[in-house]
Amino acid sequence: MDTQQAVAETAPFEATEDGVEARRDGSNKITLGPGDSLEGKLNYNGHVSVQGRAEGEFRISGNFDVANGATVKALIEGSNVSIKGDVEGMLTAREKLTIGKSGKINGDITVKRLQIEDGASLNGHVRMGSFENG
Amino acid sequence: MAESETSMVMLGPNDRLIGELHIEGNLRVSGTLEGQIEATGDVEVAEAAKVKASVTGREVNVSGQVNGPVVASKKLVIGRSGSVVGDVKVPRLVMQDGASLSGNVQMGPKVAAEMAASAETAPEMAAVGATDGQTDEKPKGKRR
Repeated sequence: MDTQQAVAETAPFEATEDGVEARRDGSNKITLGPGDSLEGKLNYNGHVSVQGRAEGEFRISGNFDVANGATVKALIEGSNVSIKGDVEGMLTAREKLTIGKSGKINGDITVKRLQIEDGASLNGHVRMGSFENG
Repeated sequence: MAESETSMVMLGPNDRLIGELHIEGNLRVSGTLEGQIEATGDVEVAEAAKVKASVTGREVNVSGQVNGPVVASKKLVIGRSGSVVGDVKVPRLVMQDGASLSGNVQMGPKVAAEMAASAETAPEMAAVGATDGQTDEKPKGKRR
């Protein structure tokens, strides 16, 4: 019980800060909760995590996460991209794309590195390699 | 040999095959292969292997280089040293980090259903072929 209190005192903001939170490395993060939805175009310097619904165009400097149960219909560009939900659209991962076992992608992907877990689904064209030639 | 009913074909690191290969059983390639491969069982492409062929099998495991379309009726696994350049049609696909893949990927339940449909016609053809020669193959369903 003592430790619980200590934790609560030393980290008063981290748990309560909803949505946008500043991280220790200075990069920002947007989290769309399960009931949240976003439609439009987003250019963002930081990480994005989607648990709800997102539609449009996302160009992210950091990592892009699509959680299990999330639906994304968009053009996605991110550094490390992790897909555990449903994704429809063109996807670019400048570093690595991970498709989890619950992940589903319908669309063409361009990635540097690719990891696919058993159970994942992918329909589309795969292009791998460096990004020097666009 | 693990099982008596299925044959196992192995191509060593210094072996080379150019042409068409059709086997009722499993295949393991460590050398060079060009042309067309069709196996009823599993296909394994080892790390040093260079395959420039269309590959068809049940479970296909790639740790080497494959240049050509790959069709697996069960699953395709591309290991961390593996590379596939070509279109892929499989119900399930596993790719380890470090693996490389370039091509069109078609997978999921739709592909699985398609495979099942084509598998239904395959045993008939096999049965016709079996009447030509004597085969000791027993129906697998009755085995314990």
